[in-house]
Amino acid sequence: MDRGKIGVLPRPCRLADESYLEFVTSFRYFAIREMFPKVAEHGEAALAKALETGEVAKPDEGEAVKLGDIKRVFSKIPAAPTWQRFVRSQQEMMWRRTRESFYRDIESLMARMDAAAAKNPERLHIDSDFVLPEYTRKEIHCQPGGYTDDPMGGVVFHYGTKVFYEGANDQDELHIELADKATRPADEKVERILDIGCSIGQATTVLKDLYPQAEVWGLDVGAPMIRYAHMRGVERGKDVHFVQRLAEENGFPDAHFDMVHSYILFHEVTVKAMQAILAETFRVLRPGGTFTIYEFPNNDKNQVPAAYRFLIDYDSRDNCEPYSPAFVACDFRGLLEAAGFVVETGPAVSNPFLQSLVATKSSA
Amino acid sequence: MDDQPSQDVPPKLGEEIYGPGRTYFDNVVIDNLLDALLELSAAVWTYHDRVNVLEKVLEERGIRVSEAIEAHLPDAAELEARAAERALLVERVFGSFVRRPVGGRAMPGGE
Repeated sequence: MDRGKIGVLPRPCRLADESYLEFVTSFRYFAIREMFPKVAEHGEAALAKALETGEVAKPDEGEAVKLGDIKRVFSKIPAAPTWQRFVRSQQEMMWRRTRESFYRDIESLMARMDAAAAKNPERLHIDSDFVLPEYTRKEIHCQPGGYTDDPMGGVVFHYGTKVFYEGANDQDELHIELADKATRPADEKVERILDIGCSIGQATTVLKDLYPQAEVWGLDVGAPMIRYAHMRGVERGKDVHFVQRLAEENGFPDAHFDMVHSYILFHEVTVKAMQAILAETFRVLRPGGTFTIYEFPNNDKNQVPAAYRFLIDYDSRDNCEPYSPAFVACDFRGLLEAAGFVVETGPAVSNPFLQSLVATKSSA
Repeated sequence: MDDQPSQDVPPKLGEEIYGPGRTYFDNVVIDNLLDALLELSAAVWTYHDRVNVLEKVLEERGIRVSEAIEAHLPDAAELEARAAERALLVERVFGSFVRRPVGGRAMPGGE
Protein backbone atom coordinates (compact mmCIF):
# COMPACT_ATOMS: atom_id res chain seq x y z
CA MET A 1 0.00 0.00 0.00
CA ASP A 2 1.32 3.45 -0.95
CA ARG A 3 1.17 5.53 2.24
CA GLY A 4 2.49 8.67 0.59
CA LYS A 5 5.63 10.54 1.57
CA ILE A 6 7.53 12.01 4.47
CA GLY A 7 9.22 15.03 2.95
CA VAL A 8 10.80 13.67 -0.23
CA LEU A 9 11.05 10.13 1.14
CA PRO A 10 8.63 7.28 0.59
CA ARG A 11 6.69 6.55 3.77
CA PRO A 12 7.20 3.06 5.22
CA CYS A 13 4.65 0.57 3.93
CA ARG A 14 2.88 0.16 7.26
CA LEU A 15 2.17 2.37 10.23
CA ALA A 16 3.82 -0.21 12.49
CA ASP A 17 7.06 0.04 10.46
CA GLU A 18 6.96 3.82 10.63
CA SER A 19 6.32 3.84 14.39
CA TYR A 20 9.11 1.32 15.02
CA LEU A 21 11.60 3.33 12.95
CA GLU A 22 10.56 6.55 14.67
CA PHE A 23 11.38 4.89 17.96
CA VAL A 24 14.80 3.87 16.59
CA THR A 25 15.35 7.47 15.48
CA SER A 26 14.52 8.82 18.91
CA PHE A 27 16.70 6.23 20.58
CA ARG A 28 19.58 6.99 18.22
CA TYR A 29 19.30 10.67 19.11
CA PHE A 30 19.48 9.75 22.80
CA ALA A 31 22.45 7.40 22.31
CA ILE A 32 24.50 9.83 20.24
CA ARG A 33 23.59 13.13 21.87
CA GLU A 34 23.17 12.10 25.50
CA MET A 35 24.98 8.82 26.07
CA PHE A 36 28.16 9.36 24.08
CA PRO A 37 29.11 12.60 25.89
CA LYS A 38 29.01 10.55 29.11
CA VAL A 39 31.25 7.91 27.57
CA ALA A 40 33.64 10.65 26.46
CA GLU A 41 33.60 12.42 29.82
CA HIS A 42 34.20 9.31 31.92
CA GLY A 43 36.61 7.77 29.42
CA GLU A 44 38.78 10.88 29.18
CA ALA A 45 38.80 11.15 33.00
CA ALA A 46 39.82 7.50 33.35
CA LEU A 47 42.54 7.97 30.75
CA ALA A 48 43.90 11.04 32.53
CA LYS A 49 44.03 9.07 35.76
CA ALA A 50 45.74 6.11 34.06
CA LEU A 51 48.36 8.46 32.64
CA GLU A 52 48.85 10.01 36.08
CA THR A 53 49.28 6.66 37.84
CA GLY A 54 51.50 5.24 35.13
CA GLU A 55 49.01 2.54 34.17
CA VAL A 56 49.30 4.01 30.70
CA ALA A 57 52.70 5.25 29.59
CA LYS A 58 52.85 8.94 28.78
CA PRO A 59 53.48 9.42 25.06
CA ASP A 60 56.59 11.19 23.83
CA GLU A 61 56.39 14.87 23.00
CA GLY A 62 54.29 15.35 19.86
CA GLU A 63 53.01 11.78 19.98
CA ALA A 64 49.48 10.65 20.86
CA VAL A 65 48.33 8.03 23.35
CA LYS A 66 48.18 4.65 21.63
CA LEU A 67 44.70 3.64 20.43
CA GLY A 68 45.07 0.28 22.19
CA ASP A 69 45.56 2.07 25.51
CA ILE A 70 42.53 4.30 24.88
CA LYS A 71 40.36 1.26 24.13
CA ARG A 72 41.63 -0.66 27.17
CA VAL A 73 40.89 2.21 29.54
CA PHE A 74 37.53 3.13 27.99
CA SER A 75 36.35 -0.49 28.02
CA LYS A 76 36.57 -0.54 31.82
CA ILE A 77 33.94 2.14 32.33
CA PRO A 78 30.44 0.62 32.25
CA ALA A 79 29.08 3.35 30.00
CA ALA A 80 31.31 2.34 27.08
CA PRO A 81 30.18 -1.24 26.34
CA THR A 82 26.59 -0.26 27.12
CA TRP A 83 26.77 2.55 24.60
CA GLN A 84 28.48 0.29 22.05
CA ARG A 85 25.79 -2.36 22.51
CA PHE A 86 22.96 0.15 22.14
CA VAL A 87 24.38 1.86 19.06
CA ARG A 88 25.04 -1.44 17.32
CA SER A 89 21.57 -2.72 18.22
CA GLN A 90 19.74 0.36 16.98
CA GLN A 91 21.68 0.17 13.71
CA GLU A 92 20.69 -3.48 13.23
CA MET A 93 17.08 -2.67 14.12
CA MET A 94 17.02 0.20 11.64
CA TRP A 95 18.24 -1.86 8.67
CA ARG A 96 16.15 -4.92 9.49
CA ARG A 97 12.88 -3.00 9.73
CA THR A 98 13.59 -0.58 6.87
CA ARG A 99 14.33 -3.46 4.56
CA GLU A 100 11.39 -5.49 5.83
CA SER A 101 9.07 -2.56 5.29
CA PHE A 102 10.04 -1.61 1.74
CA TYR A 103 10.28 -5.23 0.63
CA ARG A 104 6.55 -5.45 1.33
CA ASP A 105 6.17 -3.19 -1.73
CA ILE A 106 9.02 -4.56 -3.83
CA GLU A 107 7.02 -5.15 -6.99
CA SER A 108 5.78 -1.58 -7.09
CA LEU A 109 9.19 -0.07 -6.37
CA MET A 110 10.99 -2.22 -8.92
CA ALA A 111 8.29 -1.34 -11.47
CA ARG A 112 8.82 2.37 -10.79
CA MET A 113 12.55 2.04 -11.42
CA ASP A 114 11.87 0.06 -14.61
CA ALA A 115 9.35 2.66 -15.77
CA ALA A 116 11.86 5.46 -15.20
CA ALA A 117 14.50 3.48 -17.09
CA ALA A 118 12.06 3.03 -19.97
CA LYS A 119 11.02 6.69 -19.98
CA ASN A 120 14.50 8.24 -19.97
CA PRO A 121 17.00 5.52 -20.88
CA GLU A 122 19.45 8.13 -22.20
CA ARG A 123 20.10 9.31 -18.63
CA LEU A 124 20.79 5.89 -17.09
CA HIS A 125 24.17 4.35 -17.83
CA ILE A 126 24.68 0.82 -16.56
CA ASP A 127 27.02 -1.53 -18.36
CA SER A 128 26.20 -5.22 -17.93
CA ASP A 129 29.92 -6.03 -18.25
CA PHE A 130 30.87 -3.80 -15.33
CA VAL A 131 32.85 -5.73 -12.73
CA LEU A 132 32.66 -4.63 -9.11
CA PRO A 133 36.03 -4.55 -7.34
CA GLU A 134 35.78 -6.68 -4.22
CA TYR A 135 36.67 -3.75 -1.96
CA THR A 136 33.41 -2.03 -2.91
CA ARG A 137 31.22 -4.99 -1.90
CA LYS A 138 31.19 -4.36 1.83
CA GLU A 139 28.06 -3.99 3.91
CA ILE A 140 28.97 -0.39 4.71
CA HIS A 141 27.14 0.90 7.79
CA CYS A 142 25.87 -2.72 8.12
CA GLN A 143 23.38 -2.18 5.27
CA PRO A 144 22.48 -5.62 3.89
CA GLY A 145 24.11 -5.95 0.48
CA GLY A 146 25.88 -2.63 0.92
CA TYR A 147 25.67 -0.22 -1.99
CA THR A 148 26.08 -2.91 -4.59
CA ASP A 149 24.19 -6.15 -4.01
CA ASP A 150 20.61 -5.47 -2.95
CA PRO A 151 18.37 -4.34 -5.83
CA MET A 152 16.23 -2.51 -3.27
CA GLY A 153 19.35 -0.94 -1.78
CA GLY A 154 18.46 2.56 -3.00
CA VAL A 155 15.20 2.95 -1.13
CA VAL A 156 16.60 1.08 1.89
CA PHE A 157 19.57 3.47 1.95
CA HIS A 158 17.24 6.47 1.57
CA TYR A 159 15.09 5.61 4.56
CA GLY A 160 18.01 4.28 6.57
CA THR A 161 19.77 7.61 6.22
CA LYS A 162 16.59 9.37 7.32
CA VAL A 163 17.03 7.58 10.64
CA PHE A 164 20.76 8.39 10.62
CA TYR A 165 20.07 12.10 10.08
CA GLU A 166 17.37 11.92 12.75
CA GLY A 167 14.78 13.39 10.39
CA ALA A 168 16.82 16.51 9.65
CA ASN A 169 17.27 15.65 5.96
CA ASP A 170 13.69 14.77 5.03
CA GLN A 171 13.67 17.49 2.37
CA ASP A 172 17.31 16.86 1.33
CA GLU A 173 18.16 19.95 3.39
CA LEU A 174 21.71 18.79 4.06
CA HIS A 175 22.43 18.04 0.42
CA ILE A 176 20.90 21.36 -0.61
CA GLU A 177 23.26 23.16 1.76
CA LEU A 178 26.32 21.23 0.58
CA ALA A 179 25.54 21.71 -3.12
CA ASP A 180 24.76 25.37 -2.53
CA LYS A 181 28.14 25.86 -0.84
CA ALA A 182 30.07 24.01 -3.55
CA THR A 183 32.78 26.35 -4.80
CA ARG A 184 32.41 27.38 -8.41
CA PRO A 185 35.38 28.17 -10.70
CA ALA A 186 36.77 31.70 -10.51
CA ASP A 187 35.73 32.36 -14.12
CA GLU A 188 32.13 31.27 -13.26
CA LYS A 189 32.00 29.02 -16.34
CA VAL A 190 30.02 25.91 -15.40
CA GLU A 191 29.01 23.72 -18.32
CA ARG A 192 29.51 20.26 -16.82
CA ILE A 193 29.39 18.96 -13.24
CA LEU A 194 30.28 15.53 -11.87
CA ASP A 195 29.12 14.21 -8.48
CA ILE A 196 31.35 11.25 -7.53
CA GLY A 197 30.07 8.68 -5.05
CA CYS A 198 26.63 10.21 -5.56
CA SER A 199 24.67 7.28 -3.98
CA ILE A 200 20.97 8.11 -4.58
CA GLY A 201 21.73 11.45 -6.23
CA GLN A 202 20.44 13.81 -3.57
CA ALA A 203 23.17 16.42 -4.13
CA THR A 204 23.32 15.65 -7.85
CA THR A 205 19.78 16.82 -8.52
CA VAL A 206 20.28 19.92 -6.37
CA LEU A 207 23.37 20.78 -8.44
CA LYS A 208 21.14 20.64 -11.52
CA ASP A 209 18.68 23.01 -9.84
CA LEU A 210 21.52 25.40 -9.02
CA TYR A 211 23.16 25.16 -12.46
CA PRO A 212 20.23 24.45 -14.82
CA GLN A 213 22.28 25.18 -17.91
CA ALA A 214 24.94 22.61 -16.98
CA GLU A 215 25.14 18.94 -17.91
CA VAL A 216 25.15 17.16 -14.54
CA TRP A 217 26.35 13.61 -13.90
CA GLY A 218 26.07 11.48 -10.80
CA LEU A 219 28.52 8.55 -10.58
CA ASP A 220 28.42 5.66 -8.15
CA VAL A 221 29.68 2.09 -8.00
CA GLY A 222 26.34 0.69 -6.88
CA ALA A 223 23.75 -0.13 -9.55
CA PRO A 224 20.91 -0.19 -6.98
CA MET A 225 21.86 3.34 -5.95
CA ILE A 226 22.09 4.54 -9.53
CA ARG A 227 18.75 3.01 -10.53
CA TYR A 228 16.98 4.59 -7.56
CA ALA A 229 18.73 7.93 -8.16
CA HIS A 230 17.65 7.84 -11.79
CA MET A 231 14.06 7.02 -10.79
CA ARG A 232 14.02 9.95 -8.37
CA GLY A 233 15.44 12.23 -11.05
CA VAL A 234 12.90 11.19 -13.69
CA GLU A 235 9.92 11.34 -11.33
CA ARG A 236 10.93 14.82 -10.20
CA GLY A 237 11.63 16.07 -13.73
CA LYS A 238 15.38 16.50 -13.28
CA ASP A 239 17.50 16.18 -16.42
CA VAL A 240 20.46 14.49 -14.71
CA HIS A 241 22.62 11.59 -15.88
CA PHE A 242 23.44 8.71 -13.56
CA VAL A 243 26.22 6.27 -14.31
CA GLN A 244 27.50 3.14 -12.60
CA ARG A 245 31.25 3.40 -12.77
CA LEU A 246 34.30 3.57 -10.55
CA ALA A 247 35.36 7.04 -9.48
CA GLU A 248 38.93 5.87 -10.08
CA GLU A 249 38.10 5.00 -13.71
CA ASN A 250 35.26 7.29 -14.67
CA GLY A 251 35.60 7.07 -18.45
CA PHE A 252 35.15 10.78 -19.15
CA PRO A 253 37.51 12.76 -21.43
CA ASP A 254 40.37 14.84 -20.07
CA ALA A 255 39.46 18.33 -18.75
CA HIS A 256 35.74 17.56 -19.23
CA PHE A 257 34.22 19.00 -16.06
CA ASP A 258 34.15 22.49 -14.58
CA MET A 259 33.12 21.29 -11.11
CA VAL A 260 33.40 17.99 -9.25
CA HIS A 261 31.56 17.32 -5.99
CA SER A 262 32.01 14.60 -3.38
CA TYR A 263 30.31 14.01 -0.05
CA ILE A 264 31.73 11.49 2.45
CA LEU A 265 33.17 9.27 -0.27
CA PHE A 266 36.85 8.98 0.58
CA HIS A 267 36.56 7.32 3.98
CA GLU A 268 34.65 4.53 2.25
CA VAL A 269 37.42 3.51 -0.15
CA THR A 270 40.91 2.12 0.33
CA VAL A 271 43.82 4.56 0.41
CA LYS A 272 45.03 3.03 -2.84
CA ALA A 273 41.62 3.64 -4.46
CA MET A 274 41.55 7.13 -2.98
CA GLN A 275 44.83 8.05 -4.62
CA ALA A 276 43.56 6.68 -7.93
CA ILE A 277 40.31 8.67 -7.56
CA LEU A 278 42.23 11.87 -6.87
CA ALA A 279 44.38 11.33 -9.98
CA GLU A 280 41.32 10.52 -12.09
CA THR A 281 39.40 13.54 -10.81
CA PHE A 282 42.38 15.78 -11.54
CA ARG A 283 42.46 14.35 -15.07
CA VAL A 284 38.79 15.08 -15.86
CA LEU A 285 38.72 18.52 -14.24
CA ARG A 286 39.53 21.36 -16.62
CA PRO A 287 42.21 23.92 -15.70
CA GLY A 288 40.60 26.37 -13.29
CA GLY A 289 37.97 23.81 -12.34
CA THR A 290 37.04 23.16 -8.71
CA PHE A 291 36.67 19.97 -6.71
CA THR A 292 34.46 20.43 -3.61
CA ILE A 293 34.97 17.83 -0.88
CA TYR A 294 32.99 17.24 2.32
CA GLU A 295 34.52 14.45 4.34
CA PHE A 296 35.42 12.86 7.67
CA PRO A 297 38.14 14.79 9.51
CA ASN A 298 41.73 13.54 9.56
CA ASN A 299 43.91 12.83 12.55
CA ASP A 300 47.31 12.72 10.89
CA LYS A 301 48.63 15.34 13.34
CA ASN A 302 46.92 13.97 16.46
CA GLN A 303 44.46 16.83 16.34
CA VAL A 304 41.46 14.98 17.81
CA PRO A 305 40.77 13.89 21.41
CA ALA A 306 40.93 10.33 22.72
CA ALA A 307 37.15 9.93 22.94
CA TYR A 308 36.80 10.78 19.28
CA ARG A 309 39.47 8.20 18.35
CA PHE A 310 37.54 5.66 20.41
CA LEU A 311 34.40 6.60 18.48
CA ILE A 312 36.02 6.31 15.04
CA ASP A 313 37.57 2.96 15.93
CA TYR A 314 34.20 1.69 17.13
CA ASP A 315 32.45 3.03 14.03
CA SER A 316 35.00 1.32 11.81
CA ARG A 317 34.77 -2.06 13.49
CA ASP A 318 31.13 -2.20 14.45
CA ASN A 319 29.41 -0.06 11.87
CA CYS A 320 31.29 -1.67 9.01
CA GLU A 321 33.48 1.23 7.99
CA PRO A 322 36.52 -0.86 7.08
CA TYR A 323 38.43 1.93 5.37
CA SER A 324 37.74 4.90 7.64
CA PRO A 325 40.66 4.41 10.10
CA ALA A 326 43.20 4.55 7.26
CA PHE A 327 41.48 7.61 5.87
CA VAL A 328 41.39 9.36 9.23
CA ALA A 329 45.08 8.60 9.76
CA CYS A 330 46.17 9.84 6.35
CA ASP A 331 47.37 13.27 5.27
CA PHE A 332 44.43 13.86 2.93
CA ARG A 333 45.39 17.40 2.05
CA GLY A 334 48.90 16.21 1.26
CA LEU A 335 47.53 13.51 -1.04
CA LEU A 336 45.33 16.08 -2.81
CA GLU A 337 48.36 18.31 -3.33
CA ALA A 338 50.41 15.35 -4.53
CA ALA A 339 47.69 14.71 -7.13
CA GLY A 340 48.26 18.27 -8.43
CA PHE A 341 45.49 20.23 -6.71
CA VAL A 342 45.79 23.56 -4.94
CA VAL A 343 43.94 22.94 -1.69
CA GLU A 344 42.08 25.41 0.50
CA THR A 345 39.64 25.08 3.38
CA GLY A 346 36.12 25.28 2.01
CA PRO A 347 33.10 27.09 3.44
CA ALA A 348 31.92 25.99 6.88
CA VAL A 349 28.82 23.77 6.87
CA SER A 350 26.19 23.24 9.54
CA ASN A 351 27.45 19.72 10.34
CA PRO A 352 30.55 20.57 12.41
CA PHE A 353 31.85 16.99 12.09
CA LEU A 354 32.65 17.43 8.40
CA GLN A 355 35.81 18.92 6.97
CA SER A 356 35.19 21.10 3.96
CA LEU A 357 37.88 21.42 1.30
CA VAL A 358 38.16 23.02 -2.12
CA ALA A 359 40.78 21.56 -4.46
CA THR A 360 41.44 23.58 -7.57
CA LYS A 361 43.22 22.53 -10.73
CA SER A 362 45.48 25.45 -11.48
CA SER A 363 44.78 27.19 -14.76
CA ALA A 364 48.44 28.17 -15.11
CA MET B 1 20.16 2.94 -20.90
CA ASP B 2 23.07 0.70 -21.82
CA ASP B 3 22.15 -2.95 -21.82
CA GLN B 4 20.56 -3.04 -18.37
CA PRO B 5 20.38 -6.58 -16.95
CA SER B 6 17.44 -7.61 -14.84
CA GLN B 7 18.22 -7.69 -11.13
CA ASP B 8 17.15 -10.76 -9.25
CA VAL B 9 16.45 -10.46 -5.57
CA PRO B 10 19.21 -12.22 -3.65
CA PRO B 11 17.68 -14.80 -1.33
CA LYS B 12 19.72 -13.71 1.66
CA LEU B 13 21.77 -10.63 2.37
CA GLY B 14 23.05 -9.07 5.51
CA GLU B 15 25.56 -11.15 7.41
CA GLU B 16 26.27 -8.01 9.42
CA ILE B 17 22.78 -7.67 10.84
CA TYR B 18 21.30 -11.15 10.54
CA GLY B 19 24.42 -13.03 11.71
CA PRO B 20 25.54 -13.58 15.29
CA GLY B 21 26.71 -9.98 15.45
CA ARG B 22 28.94 -8.37 18.01
CA THR B 23 29.25 -8.71 21.76
CA TYR B 24 30.48 -6.02 24.11
CA PHE B 25 30.25 -7.72 27.49
CA ASP B 26 32.10 -10.71 28.91
CA ASN B 27 28.71 -12.19 29.65
CA VAL B 28 26.82 -12.33 26.36
CA VAL B 29 23.53 -12.42 28.23
CA ILE B 30 23.98 -8.75 29.04
CA ASP B 31 24.25 -8.02 25.32
CA ASN B 32 21.10 -10.02 24.74
CA LEU B 33 19.20 -8.33 27.53
CA LEU B 34 20.04 -4.87 26.23
CA ASP B 35 18.98 -5.93 22.73
CA ALA B 36 15.75 -7.22 24.19
CA LEU B 37 15.20 -4.01 26.08
CA LEU B 38 15.49 -2.00 22.89
CA GLU B 39 13.16 -4.26 20.92
CA LEU B 40 10.66 -4.25 23.72
CA SER B 41 10.73 -0.48 23.94
CA ALA B 42 10.25 -0.22 20.19
CA ALA B 43 7.30 -2.58 20.40
CA VAL B 44 5.71 -0.64 23.23
CA TRP B 45 6.01 2.57 21.28
CA THR B 46 4.69 0.97 18.09
CA TYR B 47 1.56 -0.27 19.81
CA HIS B 48 1.09 2.96 21.68
CA ASP B 49 1.27 4.80 18.35
CA ARG B 50 -1.27 2.49 16.75
CA VAL B 51 -3.75 2.83 19.57
CA ASN B 52 -3.41 6.59 19.40
CA VAL B 53 -4.08 6.57 15.67
CA LEU B 54 -6.95 4.13 16.05
CA GLU B 55 -8.71 6.21 18.66
CA LYS B 56 -8.30 9.36 16.57
CA VAL B 57 -9.67 7.67 13.44
CA LEU B 58 -12.67 6.37 15.34
CA GLU B 59 -13.29 9.66 17.02
CA GLU B 60 -13.26 11.37 13.62
CA ARG B 61 -16.14 9.05 12.75
CA GLY B 62 -18.02 9.81 15.95
CA ILE B 63 -17.25 6.48 17.60
CA ARG B 64 -16.20 6.50 21.25
CA VAL B 65 -14.66 3.07 21.85
CA SER B 66 -13.21 2.94 25.35
CA GLU B 67 -16.15 1.15 26.93
CA ALA B 68 -16.66 -1.20 24.00
CA ILE B 69 -13.01 -2.26 24.16
CA GLU B 70 -13.38 -3.30 27.77
CA ALA B 71 -16.52 -5.30 26.95
CA HIS B 72 -15.09 -7.07 23.88
CA LEU B 73 -14.61 -10.88 23.97
CA PRO B 74 -12.52 -12.47 21.16
CA ASP B 75 -13.68 -15.46 19.08
CA ALA B 76 -11.46 -18.40 18.11
CA ALA B 77 -10.17 -16.86 14.89
CA GLU B 78 -9.23 -13.66 16.66
CA LEU B 79 -7.48 -15.60 19.38
CA GLU B 80 -5.45 -17.46 16.75
CA ALA B 81 -4.48 -14.24 14.98
CA ARG B 82 -3.50 -12.63 18.25
CA ALA B 83 -1.34 -15.63 19.13
CA ALA B 84 0.51 -15.33 15.83
CA GLU B 85 1.16 -11.64 16.36
CA ARG B 86 2.28 -12.31 19.89
CA ALA B 87 4.73 -14.95 18.65
CA LEU B 88 6.18 -12.37 16.26
CA LEU B 89 6.61 -9.96 19.16
CA VAL B 90 8.39 -12.63 21.17
CA GLU B 91 10.67 -13.34 18.21
CA ARG B 92 11.55 -9.66 17.89
CA VAL B 93 12.12 -9.09 21.58
CA PHE B 94 14.04 -12.27 22.27
CA GLY B 95 15.55 -12.95 18.83
CA SER B 96 19.02 -11.95 19.96
CA PHE B 97 19.11 -14.84 22.39
CA VAL B 98 19.06 -17.27 19.50
CA ARG B 99 20.99 -15.22 16.96
CA ARG B 100 24.02 -14.80 19.17
CA PRO B 101 25.67 -17.98 20.44
CA VAL B 102 25.49 -18.40 24.19
CA GLY B 103 27.39 -21.67 24.50
CA GLY B 104 30.98 -22.19 25.53
CA ARG B 105 30.80 -20.40 28.83
CA ALA B 106 30.13 -21.86 32.27
CA MET B 107 27.35 -19.92 33.93
CA PRO B 108 28.07 -18.52 37.37
CA GLY B 109 26.82 -20.97 39.98
CA GLY B 110 26.53 -23.80 37.42
CA GLU B 111 27.84 -27.33 37.79
